[in-house]
Amino acid sequence: MSALSTQELTKSFGGVRAVDGASVTFQEGKINALIGPNGSGKTTFFNCVTGMIRPDAGTVTYQDRDVTGLAPHRIARSGIGRSFQLCRVFPRLTVLENVLVAVQPHGLLERLRGMRNPRDVARARDLLARVGIDHLEHAEARDISYGQQKLLELAGVLMGDPRTIMLDEPAGGVNPALVDRIADLVRELNAEGRTFVVVEHNMELVMGLSDHVVVFDRGRPIAQGTPAVVQDDPLVLEAYLGV
Amino acid sequence: MPNASSGTPSGRPTTARVARFAGLLALVAVVLLFPSLAPDPFVLSVGVVILSYAVLATSWNLVGGFTGYISLGHAAYSGLGGYATALLVLRTGLDPWLALVAGGLIVAVIAVPVGVASLRVRGASFVIVSIALVLILQLTFQSWHTFTGGSGGLRVPRPFGPEVLRPEQHERFFYLHAVLLALALLTWWVIERSRLGAGLKAIREDEDKAQALGVPTFAYKLTALVVSAFFTALGGGLYALWFGYLDPIFQFSILVGTYMVLMALLGGVRSLFGPLLGAVVVGYAVEVFKSQYGDTQFHLVATGILLGLVVLFMPDGVIPALTSLVHRRRRAASIREVSAAELAEQRDGRQRDGRQRDGRQRDGRQRDGRQREETAR
Amino acid sequence: MTGALFAQSLVLGILLGGLYALLAAGLTLYFGVMRVVMIAHSAFLILAAYLAWYFHERSGLDPLLSLVITVPLFFVIGYGMQRFLVSRLRPISLTTMSVLLTFAVALTIEGLLGFVWTGTQRRVQLPYSGTSIEVAGVSVAVVKLIAFALAAVSLAALYLILRKTSFGRALRATTQHPEAARLIGIDTDRVAGLGFGLGLATAAIGGTALALDYTIYPSLHWHWIGPLMAIIVVGGLGSIPGAAIAALLLGVAASLLQVPLGTTWAQTVFYLALFVTLMIRPQGFFGGRLAQRF
Repeated sequence: MSALSTQELTKSFGGVRAVDGASVTFQEGKINALIGPNGSGKTTFFNCVTGMIRPDAGTVTYQDRDVTGLAPHRIARSGIGRSFQLCRVFPRLTVLENVLVAVQPHGLLERLRGMRNPRDVARARDLLARVGIDHLEHAEARDISYGQQKLLELAGVLMGDPRTIMLDEPAGGVNPALVDRIADLVRELNAEGRTFVVVEHNMELVMGLSDHVVVFDRGRPIAQGTPAVVQDDPLVLEAYLGV
Repeated sequence: MPNASSGTPSGRPTTARVARFAGLLALVAVVLLFPSLAPDPFVLSVGVVILSYAVLATSWNLVGGFTGYISLGHAAYSGLGGYATALLVLRTGLDPWLALVAGGLIVAVIAVPVGVASLRVRGASFVIVSIALVLILQLTFQSWHTFTGGSGGLRVPRPFGPEVLRPEQHERFFYLHAVLLALALLTWWVIERSRLGAGLKAIREDEDKAQALGVPTFAYKLTALVVSAFFTALGGGLYALWFGYLDPIFQFSILVGTYMVLMALLGGVRSLFGPLLGAVVVGYAVEVFKSQYGDTQFHLVATGILLGLVVLFMPDGVIPALTSLVHRRRRAASIREVSAAELAEQRDGRQRDGRQRDGRQRDGRQRDGRQREETAR
Repeated sequence: MTGALFAQSLVLGILLGGLYALLAAGLTLYFGVMRVVMIAHSAFLILAAYLAWYFHERSGLDPLLSLVITVPLFFVIGYGMQRFLVSRLRPISLTTMSVLLTFAVALTIEGLLGFVWTGTQRRVQLPYSGTSIEVAGVSVAVVKLIAFALAAVSLAALYLILRKTSFGRALRATTQHPEAARLIGIDTDRVAGLGFGLGLATAAIGGTALALDYTIYPSLHWHWIGPLMAIIVVGGLGSIPGAAIAALLLGVAASLLQVPLGTTWAQTVFYLALFVTLMIRPQGFFGGRLAQRF
């Protein structure tokens, strides 16, 4: 089964080339990291892949299918889940409802059926327990802490049972203990066979967690490889430090 | 008032359930007994008007409350429903009740291209189209004399023969409106607890996020709009059959559309009986005002100010505002980390006060431009 | 349609389009700085028209002089509205709530206008109200030319403000990317407030121009908000040049269609354009890179 990959992906905003002919292949079944200095186009790239933005040129391929420019919900249904850079949950829905939204029904009849059917609720509860916030089941999402919202977001993504999970700065804005917890979760899920693509700034986390690192600069990948290789790459150092 | 929006967690005491059930029974009893209790036909007719408002507000809430897309010109659908019913009866001799349902279906079909045009992008376009729609309908129905009777109005034949006296007519239509309201409420309730409803609520909270989780947002929004248009049209048609006369200025009235929004907002868009509550409060106030002072411009001022106040201070409606007041007292102090909303406010506050000229944030990171991430708008 | 009639309609269309351009520029400005659909804009237009009429009634002076009062007044009101009302709304539901809020303001204004001046239709009668001049072989009412001139001058001033002043730069930056603007030190709240004030100031000018030529009554604003909203969508939400171009095109189209279809049906061209734009190109046709899909 082929991995998630892009071919010559390009996106401009006005005069700015945010993504410039980026061709990247993420490794199936591995934890891939996408790093790069600010303004390197990582988030735009991320959004192009997940369908939030339509690229100007180039293609995105997933499991040998061309998924370029598909609506975000179709991308989600094809097995790619994603989180957001500034953690996004549904503020006025309860924690449990937040996860239940992610059930993906098929057909009219299924959609009219109650959202609280026991099987879905049980699965949702399991996921909440897995990330460790099952005790907050009935709290409104806007009332829980930021860190707990991050975990909630993850639980919601997992509800769709994605084979590939894309995380946008999962460690952003959370305390070190929680970062470790998230890292452990990622490893666990990876061990189950899920592929990860993680955009991150936290170098320690990236180097310790990932199997494969892609470095972005000025809209395209400038280095790819294992953490050790990438760390010593002079191009990477130049991009980050301007050296 | 029973609130169906959050479901019953396992820990809730059953006394709350009993109370809700009792409340529901009381409501049904009031509705059934009202015609007999009403002192005179005028009061009864006011009751019909209020029920009609309740139907319209609840129908509006099928799209407004679920998706968060505000339709300010929703009177377009009730007006179309009224005219469709009347014209079907007048031109084709169709049975009034069949015409009512057929009119509703016709309007539901009309809502599809409207929805396609206005729902593909976000809330701003939807509002603009909704206003444009009611304005253009008012314009065309006024001008199209041959078809619609123009600004001279259209007489709607009464479904019950002339031998049925006015008070009896009021009573019958009171119950008919009550039945329609019950159907609308039932529809709202079914959708609310379904997966469709879950998706719709997610759209309201965060449309991008809903898409990212696999919710087919456009299809869902369109469904909500069409169902809402259907019931709103039925409401308009039933009212037309009762009132007996259609005038394009009042059928496609921005003010009526505003009432629908105000009633739903005031009562609470996220609860089943919210629009009904709002209809009772606002509808009663409007009717009292009309009988005391007649149709003056002050209506507009009062409606405008009330709407403004609700939007600024009670955007979730009266019921949630009251319940949160109660909850705030009850909730025990607990140590919890700062909530995300507070975090965002802090962040914005820091950005505003402590702007760093070198473009770096206080936590040392530079933020690259975010596209849709920073939505919230 | 004869050549003379065509020329007449064309010229009238351009004059009308110019006025629409000014009015639409203000409307799209609010959207640009704050993503707010300011439905009360046209209500303020009519308010300004009433004020101009009232000024003329009481003082006997030319209503254009009322601009001295109304422009700064509306600027202050606009600033106040943004700072004290709109900014109170929670960011989560800003678009929908701002629509409702400005809608409420529009209703209140309409109600107050009717309350103070009743529903009687008003018309400014000036010594030059009925006179026309020959322009390019076409007979044009003087008041229409004055309205157009007023609109043109104001749009030029708006252009200069936006392009040449530091405030204008800050405004454009805030429109394009509020977050980035903040990062380089722009006080986006203040800019938004001033932007609102600027938008409402254009309403003052536009309303006064309107008073010269149109019969006014409290609910007249509904007659204008529809076409104006259509124009800003066709032009691209947030883009002033886009709004101006769309205004001219649609104004001319409406004017040309008036001859075969009559005034009422000619108005439908705005709504038709709105529908077509949303179906084919929701981000608008003339807004360039700025125009967003909202």
